[in-house]
Amino acid sequence: MQIKDLTKKYNGNPVVDSVDLEIPKGKVISFIGPNGAGKSTVMGMISRLIARDSGLVAFDGTDIEKWKSKELSKRLAILTQSNNIQMKLTVRELVAFGRFPYSGNRTTKEDEEIIQQAIAYMELEEFQDRFIDELSGGQRQRALIAMVIAQDTDYVLLDEPTNNLDIYHATNMMKIVRRLCDELGKTIILVLHEINYAAFYSDYICAFVDGKVAKFGTVKEVMTKETLSEIYKVDFEILEIEGKPLSIYY
Amino acid sequence: MNKAVFQSNLTKMIILSILALSAAAAYMLIDVNFTNEKLFLYAMKIRTPKLIVMIITAFAIGGASIVFQSVINNRIVTPCLLGMNSLYTLIHTAVIFFAGSSSILAVNANLAFAADLIIMGVTATLIYSYFFKKTKHNVLYVLLIGTVLTSLFSSIQSTLTRVMDPNEYDNLLNTLVASFSNINTEIIIFSVIVLGAVIAFLGKDLSVLNVLTLGKNQAINLGVNYDRSVRRLLLGVTLFIAVATAMVGPISFLGLIIANLSRQLLKTYKHSFLMLGSALFGIIVLVGGQLIVEQIFTYSVPISVFITVGGGLYFLYLLLTRRSV
Repeated sequence: MQIKDLTKKYNGNPVVDSVDLEIPKGKVISFIGPNGAGKSTVMGMISRLIARDSGLVAFDGTDIEKWKSKELSKRLAILTQSNNIQMKLTVRELVAFGRFPYSGNRTTKEDEEIIQQAIAYMELEEFQDRFIDELSGGQRQRALIAMVIAQDTDYVLLDEPTNNLDIYHATNMMKIVRRLCDELGKTIILVLHEINYAAFYSDYICAFVDGKVAKFGTVKEVMTKETLSEIYKVDFEILEIEGKPLSIYY
Repeated sequence: MNKAVFQSNLTKMIILSILALSAAAAYMLIDVNFTNEKLFLYAMKIRTPKLIVMIITAFAIGGASIVFQSVINNRIVTPCLLGMNSLYTLIHTAVIFFAGSSSILAVNANLAFAADLIIMGVTATLIYSYFFKKTKHNVLYVLLIGTVLTSLFSSIQSTLTRVMDPNEYDNLLNTLVASFSNINTEIIIFSVIVLGAVIAFLGKDLSVLNVLTLGKNQAINLGVNYDRSVRRLLLGVTLFIAVATAMVGPISFLGLIIANLSRQLLKTYKHSFLMLGSALFGIIVLVGGQLIVEQIFTYSVPISVFITVGGGLYFLYLLLTRRSV
């Protein structure tokens, strides 16, 4: 996936300012940066949820605007923070929606198997007939991820998946992200606020400041005292745990 | 949908169908003279078109209300908010005001129907496809535009009635009450054709309704061309309401009741079920209500009174019992 000169303005103010990126395949890539740096907006434009003002997002060599929405939804899935589902839906029914791009409203036998696998993968079997509004935040998030798995896309975009989750569930979520990449070979792009989750669980980090890419590289390249201090304008110390750089800020 | 829920919904649908059928049978057969063939045929001739009109109205309003609620993603909105009721009232007032109650537009039912439908259709297309595009597909604007239009139309209408000849006003009032009588075959056939054409025009858009209930972002993620689908669905809803209103008068408040009864009973997200359930509830309410109006109140109270009173109470109940709206 290639992003070229991507720009978005609100009332004349650029929130995303000519961003160029090339997303490596089969890796976990985290977008980090202070509030209002444009990470979620870039994510929105990559996934066609937000219209861009100019620039190009090429997916498999073709601009996403030229893709048929249905075809794109078989290759790229996005999960945003706002998921207030009004309907009475069971977990299984929600996961089944992941098959909509393939089979519409009627699931085939093959779809049923994929749905069952997705539920099993997220260890949701015992909840599958529960209504999602009766689940805890962590369980609901897992159900949504199961739906994304059922959607069976190469690319998965997650906008702040650890938001509103406690340490236990947030860490589990990040482990799931890692597994999706390592076991199922998916390319995963995340927007994250916790730098250490980004450092520990991703392969690449892209740091945004004021709508521009401040630094893009492997975790080791980005997680340095100087770079982080420059991005967040606070003091950082870098430690190494299990061979991975972790940061302390104060 | 899991099997148990599916089975119980199927049972509920069958019970609803039986109720609707028995309401229709009761409406057709109560107080009919079976011994005299001529009287029997006469009764049938009077009652059949009314029953057909009620069934068409129930389908149009029931279906449109469910679609409208799903598009707006809110269960207590009614297509009343689209302003077609007040536009209808305004058109009829203006005709009588400017042309008089003896003019051909007021006297000829077919012509009046055609005029209603054309004006409402054009307004609907203009507002709900053009403005919707202009406002960057924000559904809340649709509600806002509808509300503003409703008060605009009603203000103009009340100004007209204030300066109107009292006798003409008396004539006018009769046409402003929803009624199933005096609707001729041509209008029925034409309505069915228009409704059929709208369904054919929507086609695939109807299949994305289930996904729309997951919200805009999820719908786009699952490959729905959201803006286009929502625009076309809204246009379809308005045309459905326009047909029903042009045919029987201002009655779309009914939609709130039947759509919510259907959602409450069926507890599913599947729109095929919800829409059919809503239409069946519509038949039960309309046919049952008309039966009461004709047999008990002998036409002294119009059915819209029941719908408005019952609907108002039900609306309050919905507001008070639902935690999140």
